[in-house]
Amino acid sequence: MKNRFTTYFILLLAAQILLCNFLNISPYLMLSILPVLILALPSSIPTVGAMLIAFATGLAVDFLSEGVIGLNAASLLPVAYVRRDLSALIFGEKFNDTSEPFSVKNNGVWKMIFAILVSQTIFLLVYFWAEGAFMTRTLGFNLLRFGVSLSAGVLLSVLIAETCASQSDDIKSW
Amino acid sequence: MQKKRSITKIAVNAAIFIMLEVAALDMLAHNGIMQDFAVSRAVHGFMAKCWGGAQKAGYYFSLKKTNEALAEENFRLAGQVRRYKEREEAMLTDSIAASYSAQGDSGIYVFSPATLVKVSRNKQHNYLIVDKGSEDGIGQNTGIITSQGVVGIIDAVGKHYSYAMSFMNTGMSVSARLGREGAVGPLVWDGTSSTGAVLKEIPLQYKFNEGDTVFTSGYSSIFPADIPLGLTGSSKIINGATYDIKVTLLQDFNSIKFVTLVTNAGDAEIMELEKKEEDVSTENEKK
Repeated sequence: MKNRFTTYFILLLAAQILLCNFLNISPYLMLSILPVLILALPSSIPTVGAMLIAFATGLAVDFLSEGVIGLNAASLLPVAYVRRDLSALIFGEKFNDTSEPFSVKNNGVWKMIFAILVSQTIFLLVYFWAEGAFMTRTLGFNLLRFGVSLSAGVLLSVLIAETCASQSDDIKSW
Repeated sequence: MQKKRSITKIAVNAAIFIMLEVAALDMLAHNGIMQDFAVSRAVHGFMAKCWGGAQKAGYYFSLKKTNEALAEENFRLAGQVRRYKEREEAMLTDSIAASYSAQGDSGIYVFSPATLVKVSRNKQHNYLIVDKGSEDGIGQNTGIITSQGVVGIIDAVGKHYSYAMSFMNTGMSVSARLGREGAVGPLVWDGTSSTGAVLKEIPLQYKFNEGDTVFTSGYSSIFPADIPLGLTGSSKIINGATYDIKVTLLQDFNSIKFVTLVTNAGDAEIMELEKKEEDVSTENEKK
């Protein structure tokens, strides 16, 4: 089961690297599926483990696509740090103890969207701050970029979470 | 007891979070140094090969566009050659101008053609990968230009590929001049479009019109003077002291592939002089 999750994780990480390298649609769109990858880590993984995975995953994307080392790692770490508390808050205290799978079927579509929305928001805010966008770009540009990136990111993340969950209904987490 | 354990857990989590976050932000702050690490250079080399393959397919389908751009450039270069010939003929009849030209053409800049293997455009810190490295005589701080402007500066050099900071990077500025003999100020990317820039710190006494050409000033040791960069647009007064002028770049970064690398052959000498000056200042301070 864990092997299956690892395979999905690596495939989706590769997909994110391809997205960063070849999806150059607009400066208003910063599409990332990394927050949902961290959110969907098996709940048996403690916060420290999740943070180390987030750090390594972020660095991999930085090295292999973004070209600015540390940007994704710095943005993804807060998501890993709040992951367990966020899950407990949205899905209930039991979520972290019972290792419920991260899927619409188990958690409900609105709760899933809300969890992904919060994690994407944290990720994007840290990302924009770390790259210095608030200092150099206008507020209007940043707001539009945030809105477009958040909407697209949430939509894609829900689709990915659902597709992966339906592919592996029998496993605990994806 | 359980409460104590819980507090310890929270403290450990927070400490590790802060440690990793600081490490990531430190890497971000020292991106240039990080790019120069052997691991980064090896990754760039590997990725450049992968991107090169994928981009080749893309270029195959955009051959018509490339042909049109080359034809346009040919036409422009032919015009330039014609103008140089006319100037040369004029100089033959003016001995003073001829002698000035011979002295002025010191040839300290070495130019070599290169191809961009990877161009990032949609980020705040955009970068480029060029298919030339240390084995081609490329070093750090080599400039990247086209006939229509400045493209970037080489930041880290591998054997066959180099990593460069794009002009579309909020950390880069180019010393630029308004017209051939106007005021000089830093030209920076506007952070949004692929053809937008801002010429900063132009004193209020300098007059200019919309549509005036902006050139490189030649004050930096990286880029030669008089490379056309863009055309001026609207302006605004900052703190009642200087103008910030919008500039539309001549080089559109969306359609860039072939570039020219420009190395200042006198750069080592300039650096040596600067180092000597620094040493003298330090010694004086000690005394």
